[in-house]
Amino acid sequence: MQRSLIPVSFWILLSLFILFFSRNIGLGEFRAPGPGLMPFLVGLFLLLISLYALVQLLSKRSDREGASTREGSVIHFRKTGLVLFFLIAYALLLEKIGYLITAFLILVFLFRSAGSKGWRFVLIISGVTTLVTYLFFTYLGLRFPAGYLGMGGFLR
Amino acid sequence: MDILSGFLSGFQTVLQPANFIYCFLGVFIGTLVGVLPGIGPVGAMSILLPSTFGLSPVSAIIMFAGIYYGAMYGGSTTSILVNIPGEAASVVTCLDGYQMARQGRAGPALGIAAFGSFIGGTFSLIALVFLVFPLARAALKFGPPEYFSLVCMSMTVLVYLAKGSVLNAVIMVLVGVFLSTVGVDLFSGAQRFTFGSITLSDGIGLIPLAMGLFGISEVLTNIEGPVERIIFKTKIKNLLPTVQDWKKSAGAITRGSVIGFFLGILPGAGALISSFISYTVEKKLSRHPEEFGKGAIEGVAGPETANNAATGGAFVPLLAMGIPPNVVMAILLGALMIHGIVPGPRLITQHPEIFWGTIASMYIGNIALLLLNLPLIGLWVKLLKVPYRILMPLILLFCLIGSYSVNNSVMEVIIMILFGFVGYTLRKFDYEEAPLVLAFILGPMLERNFRQSLIMSDGSLSIFVQRPISAAALIISVLLLVSTGLSFYRKTKDKAITE
Repeated sequence: MQRSLIPVSFWILLSLFILFFSRNIGLGEFRAPGPGLMPFLVGLFLLLISLYALVQLLSKRSDREGASTREGSVIHFRKTGLVLFFLIAYALLLEKIGYLITAFLILVFLFRSAGSKGWRFVLIISGVTTLVTYLFFTYLGLRFPAGYLGMGGFLR
Repeated sequence: MDILSGFLSGFQTVLQPANFIYCFLGVFIGTLVGVLPGIGPVGAMSILLPSTFGLSPVSAIIMFAGIYYGAMYGGSTTSILVNIPGEAASVVTCLDGYQMARQGRAGPALGIAAFGSFIGGTFSLIALVFLVFPLARAALKFGPPEYFSLVCMSMTVLVYLAKGSVLNAVIMVLVGVFLSTVGVDLFSGAQRFTFGSITLSDGIGLIPLAMGLFGISEVLTNIEGPVERIIFKTKIKNLLPTVQDWKKSAGAITRGSVIGFFLGILPGAGALISSFISYTVEKKLSRHPEEFGKGAIEGVAGPETANNAATGGAFVPLLAMGIPPNVVMAILLGALMIHGIVPGPRLITQHPEIFWGTIASMYIGNIALLLLNLPLIGLWVKLLKVPYRILMPLILLFCLIGSYSVNNSVMEVIIMILFGFVGYTLRKFDYEEAPLVLAFILGPMLERNFRQSLIMSDGSLSIFVQRPISAAALIISVLLLVSTGLSFYRKTKDKAITE
């Protein structure tokens, strides 16, 4: 399947979603435009343009049928997925176990996955960065979550 | 307030210790992000947006402006020494700057880039002051139809000048406008696309959106295989260009200043396009065009001057009409709006300290940059060697802290991560994020003025063509769209014939 078909199909689905929900919100009329009018118009234009892009892609495809088309660059699911997983884990754990532990853990994982060798170096740089950012941002007035363990706020 | 007393009060504002420190901090961070790989001025500004909550609006805008033009300076250093542009607007500097470094002339290349940037920056500031006043006076007479049509025109020019596919740029603009409609409708109080979420009822925040699209997605793209940075081993000496170098560069710097300033005003054009156009013009005008690409100093002086002059030009539509011409200005607008200040024709009279303070700070900042970049070049070269494996976790941590600090809410962090993934995927499919963010910021302005115009005209769309300025802006938009469509059609046809 041609790679460009994926985003185009997504845009078509998105435009249908916008059209459906904006009608529910209320389009109003031109003399008293409702809250759904602008999203509806945007959805309509998006649908028309995506359909045009789809027709173009399909006509290109039939022109050179059989030829393998693989434009764009490859998505590296493993590395990207791993970093995204760490980031989401940080977001979910932050309020539960507090900033100090969560930030330290994510830094250790990120430094390792970015290619930093040597556990001692990774542990030291992660520890120092966590502490420095904690002190600096607390000084700026940011309140980090302490977490169930109460670890996030022991310096306060 | 006349121009001279305005300037003086601006200097008074910027020379207050706090503002002066933020000006210096801004240009320092700007140079840093210009030099460091994997993060540009937009990413840095997005990450720093939450930190401006505690600052006065003047300090915030002074710092952000510093980051913008500071990055232009920093970007040239990496282009010349490493052949990798630290910032998109310095791409063209690689062509001759790196060749000069290979020939042992890294010093004069860096020197002329810094002096050219300084001269371009200064010229654009003076031109900015003379252009903003008449424009702001005219903009005072604009009503909703004019603003609607001008925003439409901005978006069309953005699409017209898009780097990649026009269709993709249009889609990005539409998605940006759609995202801006999420949240409570200010006219009717209706919930739009919130699905019961309290976080979404406030709308999608600019900070998580910009941080995700520019910070996280940049990192995700870079971890796949950061470019090896081989620093050209050369002794940097003779930073001051010789008389011969000045003679060769004088014309390029003058033309670069003018080209940069005027292109900076256009939506979407900005620093990048002005640097390319300046290079092309210099090559065309040169008596020795064959020297370009082999270390011609004009090829460094012109574009570097132009990209800095463009930063001044970009402030014109923002300060005079409240319409940001590029994504950096859009984030600056966002920073001001966080403080409850709406840029526009009344900014000069209602908040003269912000207007004049910003302009004076850019002048002070340009001098600070000259001092930062020439004597401290060794420090920046050392920073070039910081490996990406150290930078990447730090950038991500700053994004995580920054997005949390907006509302002390984990939901904002999750939204940022989501947009990080969206931005990464968009890049993979050759979609640019900049039109999306700009449309996201202009979206509310577009919708508000559209609805107000319709109410004013009792539902008649003809109001947009009955008023001359609005009609002119719409005609320009249509002409641009037709010309884009025609060139797109021709390209597709030619391609089909060759295949």
